[in-house]
Amino acid sequence: MNNNNVAQPLRKAPLKVRFEKYKWFYIMFLPVMAFLIIFHYLPMFGIRFAFTKYNLIKAPVFVGFDQFRRLFSMPNFWSAFYNTLELSIVKLLLNTGMAIIASLFLNEMISERTKKLTQTIIYLPHFMSWVVTASVFQMLFSPTSAGLVNQMLLKMGVIDKSIYFLGDSAWWRTTYYIINVWRETGWGTIIFMATLAGIDPGIYEAGSIDGATRMQKMWYITIPSIANTILTVLILNLAKVMNLFESAFVLQNDAVMGTSQVLQTYVYYQTFNSGGIPDYGYTTAIGLFRSIVGMFLVLACNFASKKVRGRSIV
Amino acid sequence: MKKLLSLMLVLAMTFTMVTVVASAEEVAKPEKITILADTTIFSANNGRDEMEARWEELTGIELEIIQPDHDAYYDVMQQHIASGEWPDVMILSSTYYSSYAAEGVLWDMTEAWENSETKASGRFSGDVVFDGLKIDGSLYGFSATRGNGCVTYVKQAWLDAVDMTAPTNFEEYVAMLDAFTKNDPDGDGVADTFGVSAAGFIGAEAPFVNYLPEFYQDAYPFFVAQEDGTWVDGFTQPNMEAALARLSDAYAAGYIDPTTLTNGTGDCRNKFYDDGFGAFTYWAGTWATNLKTNLEANELPGDLVALAPIAEVGAYYDRVPPVWAITSQCENPEGVFKYFIDTMLDGNEMQMLWTYGVEDVHYSFKAETILEKEYAEGQFHMLENLEKEGTAYTKHHIDPMLSLATFAEGVYDPKADSVKPEAAAAAQLFNESSKLATIVPTTEDMTMYNGDLTTLKNELVAKVTMGEMTYADAMAKFEADGGKAWSDAIVASLNALAE
Repeated sequence: MNNNNVAQPLRKAPLKVRFEKYKWFYIMFLPVMAFLIIFHYLPMFGIRFAFTKYNLIKAPVFVGFDQFRRLFSMPNFWSAFYNTLELSIVKLLLNTGMAIIASLFLNEMISERTKKLTQTIIYLPHFMSWVVTASVFQMLFSPTSAGLVNQMLLKMGVIDKSIYFLGDSAWWRTTYYIINVWRETGWGTIIFMATLAGIDPGIYEAGSIDGATRMQKMWYITIPSIANTILTVLILNLAKVMNLFESAFVLQNDAVMGTSQVLQTYVYYQTFNSGGIPDYGYTTAIGLFRSIVGMFLVLACNFASKKVRGRSIV
Repeated sequence: MKKLLSLMLVLAMTFTMVTVVASAEEVAKPEKITILADTTIFSANNGRDEMEARWEELTGIELEIIQPDHDAYYDVMQQHIASGEWPDVMILSSTYYSSYAAEGVLWDMTEAWENSETKASGRFSGDVVFDGLKIDGSLYGFSATRGNGCVTYVKQAWLDAVDMTAPTNFEEYVAMLDAFTKNDPDGDGVADTFGVSAAGFIGAEAPFVNYLPEFYQDAYPFFVAQEDGTWVDGFTQPNMEAALARLSDAYAAGYIDPTTLTNGTGDCRNKFYDDGFGAFTYWAGTWATNLKTNLEANELPGDLVALAPIAEVGAYYDRVPPVWAITSQCENPEGVFKYFIDTMLDGNEMQMLWTYGVEDVHYSFKAETILEKEYAEGQFHMLENLEKEGTAYTKHHIDPMLSLATFAEGVYDPKADSVKPEAAAAAQLFNESSKLATIVPTTEDMTMYNGDLTTLKNELVAKVTMGEMTYADAMAKFEADGGKAWSDAIVASLNALAE
């Protein structure tokens, strides 16, 4: 056998040489690394409290998996867990779907000025705090004569009695999704609009020469061009699915807790309604569980991305 | 024998007196006191440095004030406790007070209080409040004021419009709500008014029922100690069924604002100022003036009747006040008590400092015009707020209407010149017709289950009131969802603690 023709792997330069060569990159990366270590990795040591009873006064007492056993035996915890998944995932799909539709419409707009004005108008709700958003929609959806939505529906004969949209378990989720779509659709279009701007106009021209209609161009050119972006947005947002708090917290009330309680608000009420100093071991256990579920969701999506697109995203 | 006994008694008395005097003299004066305080004392932007300097001038002791932002106070306090850097003194709400006392964080000041100058001054009127602060007979905190609570304010103009007088019992109260809802009391020709509104059907913190006392009456949804000392969960008592029936009847009749469930306190105030409803149970004292002023700002009649508790209510709930507590790590707790706590209500300059602040910074006697109002030389007046231009200070840490001690005889008390008559009247009515809410001790079972239990109770109260559920169904759900088991466990732990 003659091995002369076999390609030899390139030898890496010694570490010292490489370090010398890229030292400025390493130096520039140092603050970022310090930030990551201090604010992202060091706090992870707090995970150990999930296996203790801890009230911040006496030293933590190791209790093994007791906190998790207690957690899994609480019906309110499971209700909050399922609510978190349902509210977040439906919200994510609706918001992304509406953002895609809005982007496609904006993309089809001929007048640049109208397009920019529309974009600005639909971005604005995102900058309203959730507290203000909740106040505005509580007024709009109010069951009294001050509630615009109820008054309109009554006048149109759609309903014969006012609906307490935010105070009725049967209506709360629908109302929650509507408010979320109103607030987040505009913001969600930014990334899709950026992708749409990058599509080669030549492809559309070729489509026109081939006699494609406007709808056909949208279906066969535009949507496939943004498919990767849609998937990326979905996967990135899926990582945040378990972080639902503010929107649910400001819109929920005593009568709809069964449908609106999510894991983060569950932790909040465990902390502030405990009637004393809360057991931080228990609330840390909930946080740890939440993180693990969030991590699995991201890994599952990454796996799905690999299967569908042939490459992973993280 | 009699002589011998007399001699022994005299010797014993002399010995006791000498001991007391000696122990009083033995209290060393601290060089420095560190306090952790919330924004009930003046903030840095509001002349805290001047207040601190004046305190140091009066005592000759260095004072270090740690004052976190209002919202972050209890987070910062817990960080101090967890890190072992305990201040000498800190302000605590009733929940933290009982919990920290149980955990040994607080110094037992019972003996110091019993021998204090404030208690012996003859000006102190807060024995009932201090009895309520005792945990297992021991006192761990001091408050210079009552906790305050809510009284029901009724619009006089609306009473006149429906030709009624202030109600004295529940029947009359309901008749008034009916008239406020149906008889167009605001006279705009539109049926758009309600009798009463509140921020939720049940309060978020003790005493829970203070926004709708006429409906709850003797029912209380939290843990209560009975006369024999045993604890029960008020939510499971028969009087709660009657209370929920009153609430659901009034809600179904339209007397209660239908958006009560989602109202915040700000929403209620705005609706009250906009003539949306006529009876509003809100804080006694200064708020009587605020409500009046805001109604008048909307060009509506501002006269309000502060309602004496209706017969079935008997007394309004007085909150357990936040307290100043000395930590058990404090090196010289007796000294801190003597120079920091026991001077706060000295009836003189220190009480003036804690009640009104620093002369010529927060209040003044000079001839001048403040916020378009002229004051003559020697006339007491509060100065313009350093942080919020256009408003004047009303008080410092001690609300003069809630103070537990008067000023010493011969010392000028500015209360009459600084408190508006309607506020003073509402405060006096409240002080004369309120009872102190009970401090509930913390137990492990309480910490473990009360979060879930409270969520469940609140949900059931809301659903029964709004007619979505009957009381029987609510109690069945209470049992099925684990509420009864959690409640029983907490009651058992409280009773075990009491034994």
